Amino acid sequence: MSTHSHTTKKERRYGKIAVAGLLTSSVGLLAAAGVYAGLSATATGAESVSSGTLNLTLSPDVGAGFSNFTGKMAPGDTDNVYVNLNNTGTLASAAGMTLSVTGAPASALTDGSIVGEGLTVSATQCSVAWTLATGTCSGTTKVLLAATPVSATGAGVALSNVPSLVAATGQLAHVQVSLGLAGTETSVNGVPPTQTIQGLSTTLTYTFTEQQRTGVSTNQ
Amino acid sequence: MKCLTRSTVSRTAATAAVLLLGVACLTPFAGAAGIAGRASGTEAVSTASWGVTASVTSMNFNFNVTQTTNVVNTGTVALSAQSYVVSVSRPFFFAPTFTIFGCSVPWVGGTCSGGRGTQIGRTLYSGSTTTITSAAALAPGATDYLKVVPAGVFLFTTTVTLTPEVTAPAQVRAPIRTNQ
Repeated sequence: MSTHSHTTKKERRYGKIAVAGLLTSSVGLLAAAGVYAGLSATATGAESVSSGTLNLTLSPDVGAGFSNFTGKMAPGDTDNVYVNLNNTGTLASAAGMTLSVTGAPASALTDGSIVGEGLTVSATQCSVAWTLATGTCSGTTKVLLAATPVSATGAGVALSNVPSLVAATGQLAHVQVSLGLAGTETSVNGVPPTQTIQGLSTTLTYTFTEQQRTGVSTNQ
Repeated sequence: MKCLTRSTVSRTAATAAVLLLGVACLTPFAGAAGIAGRASGTEAVSTASWGVTASVTSMNFNFNVTQTTNVVNTGTVALSAQSYVVSVSRPFFFAPTFTIFGCSVPWVGGTCSGGRGTQIGRTLYSGSTTTITSAAALAPGATDYLKVVPAGVFLFTTTVTLTPEVTAPAQVRAPIRTNQ
C-alpha cells in the first residue's frame, strides 16, 4: 500500500515536470519567432514604363484617294489613285511594308481563275505631289510595286523602297496606286467566253501593313 | 509496388499538363513578338463587255442578188474594229464569189448614202473560210449595216455564213487612263 502511494506521487511529479517543459518550450519558440519577425527587411524600387503605338493612316494625296471607279474598265485601261501613308504612332516602323488587295465578291477579276487575265495593281512613289490632271510626277519616282495580279496579293506582297517611317514625322507620301485590267478575250456574235472578265463588278480592299522597328535592349 | 506505379503515372501526367500549359501560354507571345500598323482603303470597280451581234449570220444565194445583215454593238464599250469569219460553201457547179460592204447608215436602193460603202476585206471565194476585219468605229448600241454582194453564176445554192467576232484589247477603243 505504501509502495503504491509512493509510485502515484512520483507519477504526478513527472507530469508536472512534463507540463512545465512544454510551457517552457512554447515560450522559447514564441520568443524565437518574435526575434525572426524583427529581423526581416523589405527593399523597393520604382520604375515607370510606357508602351509605344504604331498607327498607319491612309489619306488622299491629290484627288479623292481610294474611291469608286465609275467607268467600266476594258483591257489596257488604268485607274490611278493618289494616297499618303503616314505613321502617326510613337514608334518607328521597320523598313518595308506589305500590300494586300482583296475583292468582294471574288471573281475572275481577283481570283486568278483565268490565266493571264484579271485586275493588276502597281504602286509608285513620287518625291513631290502628283499632278492629278496628267497623272505625272514632276520629281523623282520610286517603284514600290511593279504590276502584279491582284490574285497574287491576297496574303500581302512586299513593297520595295519603303524606308523606316519615323514616328510622327514618317510619311510614305505621294503614292500612286494603279489598277489595271489585263486580258485578251474574243466574243463571238455577242457572246463572251464561258470564263470571262467581262461585265463583272467587285469592291477592292487595299490593306497596307507596317511592322514595328526591331526591339531595343536598353541598359540604364 | 502498385501504389508506386500509380504515383509515377500521376506525376508524369501532371508534368505533361504543366508543359502543355506552358506551351499554350508561350504560343501567343511568340506570335505577338511585334506590333503592326494597318491602313485600308476600298474601291469599287466594274468591267466592260464587248461584242457585236449580227441579225443574220447565214445566207443562201440562189441568184445574183445582194443580201444584208445588221451588226449591232451589244457590249458596253466602244469598238474600233470588228472581225468576221466568213465561210462560203462550194456548190456542185460553178464557183461564185462574194464581196462584203459596210455602211454606217441603212442601205437605200443598194447604195450607202449614194455611195458604194466600204469594202470589208478581199473577195471571198467558194469553198473558203476567211477572216476579214472592218475598221468601223461603233459606240455601244450603234449599228453597222453590211451588204453581201454575190458575183458569178448560181446553179445551186451557195451558203455564206458570217460570224462576227470582237477581240479585246485590240478591237476596243484606245485604253483610258483615269486619275482620280
